[in-house]
Amino acid sequence: MHDPGPAIEIRSLTKRYGRTTGVEDIDISVGTGEVFGFLGPNGAGKTTTIRCLVGLLRPTSGSVRLLGHDPVDGHRQVAPRLGYVPGELRFYPELTGARTLGLLAALQGAPSPRRAELCERLGLTAADLARTVGEYSRGMKQKLGLVQALQHDPELVVLDEPTEGLDPLVQETFYELLAEAAAAGRTVLLSSHVLPEVQRTCGRVAIVRQGRLVTVQSVAELRRARARRVRLAFADGQGERPLPGADRWPPRWTGNRAELLVPPDEVVDALRGLLALPVADLTVEEAGLDEAFLDLYRSPVEKT
Amino acid sequence: MRDRFPLLWLALHRRRRMLTALVLGMAVFELLIVVIAGTVPHGRMFGGDGGGRTPPSAFKAFSGSTGSVSIGSYPGLVGAGLTHPFWIALQVTAIASLSAAAVAADVESGTIELVVVRPVSRARLLAERTAAPVLAALALNAVATLTVAAGVALSPDMHHDVPLRGVFIAGLLGWALTLCLLGPALAVSAAARRRAHVLGAAIALGAVGFALNFVALAWSKAGPLRYASPFHYYTPGDILAHPTVPWGSLSVLCGVGVAGIAAAFAVLLRRDLAP
Repeated sequence: MHDPGPAIEIRSLTKRYGRTTGVEDIDISVGTGEVFGFLGPNGAGKTTTIRCLVGLLRPTSGSVRLLGHDPVDGHRQVAPRLGYVPGELRFYPELTGARTLGLLAALQGAPSPRRAELCERLGLTAADLARTVGEYSRGMKQKLGLVQALQHDPELVVLDEPTEGLDPLVQETFYELLAEAAAAGRTVLLSSHVLPEVQRTCGRVAIVRQGRLVTVQSVAELRRARARRVRLAFADGQGERPLPGADRWPPRWTGNRAELLVPPDEVVDALRGLLALPVADLTVEEAGLDEAFLDLYRSPVEKT
Repeated sequence: MRDRFPLLWLALHRRRRMLTALVLGMAVFELLIVVIAGTVPHGRMFGGDGGGRTPPSAFKAFSGSTGSVSIGSYPGLVGAGLTHPFWIALQVTAIASLSAAAVAADVESGTIELVVVRPVSRARLLAERTAAPVLAALALNAVATLTVAAGVALSPDMHHDVPLRGVFIAGLLGWALTLCLLGPALAVSAAARRRAHVLGAAIALGAVGFALNFVALAWSKAGPLRYASPFHYYTPGDILAHPTVPWGSLSVLCGVGVAGIAAAFAVLLRRDLAP
């Protein structure tokens, strides 16, 4: 069977704004049919990368290919197959929701077979669509953003923090839509700073920090590699003290109790040092995925 | 039009109330000009034809003349209605608003992201957005021309001095002037991230251009500066008196406009389009 190749291919992408570096040396490849997470704190470079991806920004160096085409030079080939929710979603406030969807469909130049279904599932009623977008709450604008991105049933969907402002019930519907897209073989790039969202919906994830790629891993690998939470209680009542063998991981102290996150392959060495202290109680458990994520943020930038 | 030219429709739809007001304002203003001009008896114009002292030559800037047409004549009075600061303000308002909306306003508000990820080329975006102010300027100049033409046709004294052919040629030149102001404004819009930059540029072009022409006419040492003003090439007073197409002026005005639009395309094709 013919291999369609990667749907998204980013090679050594660097984008600078004058002296400011937006992203530097990013390499990511997303296969066709993959639901891929793009994680990072605010200001990490996710939106810059995505804007290069959809052709809004031109890379300073490196290359981006979407569905086999350069997103700027091959705009005519890429755009009809793309659905996009920007991170900073802005509509024309004086247009109604219905007119906004109609306008964007006219610009898409394609039928919108899923519009009615999506509006219904996301809870955008006919009355909502008859109101001007200027009257919409943030959550309603976000729903409208999802409908406009998916109404023409694109084969590649790029979503930049799409669940911001959505209530939990609508978020559930959104996750269902993502699962259906994955089942239908659509490619999805989901940018988020909410780890459980990515954990739930994506197979692989890229983590960026300060404009650089920290890692690209499967969610399962990320879980396996997550840090261990070590809790200690001291019997001597002396409170905070140096922790030989575990000084590299700053502890959080509460009276005689300390808690620290230690990478899994260094736990044994750390415990050897710690057990030389007057420890009254000690537990070691897997840290939550959120903590593993934060741990990656804190660790030095190192491409894997 | 909404389905075929959605970006043009959007630009006009969003500013439909403003454009309606501008067109009505233009019609009412030109009507007032021709009514008031028509109330001055033919032989009693500012001290009589050839009798009294003629107004200073700088006043020709207000009648749209670089030649011999005095503001104290029917062509001068009607020409004043086509070069009056109110006329300029209406034209500049339409040009500035729609030029700003072409690119800069969308970049500033962030709506550009939803537009340019569609199968819409940047060239098409700018072409549709350029058509909006071109059509608005056409409407404003058409309503001014038709109002003046009707007024002149209904006044035998004025009609004697102001041929209708001159009114229509003056209208064509008015549209060319707006094109001349529009081109650079669009180029600024294609490069800018803030609509205020475009508004400022369009207003500066209109106001400074007019002032430059006025100063050049008032002060002989500054005379050569008039060639840098678009209003030097826009002479409705002269055309109303001597109705021939000023091909040189028309070419300069259209040339500047087209060059500005071409620059806008070149800039837009290369720039980043993110808020």
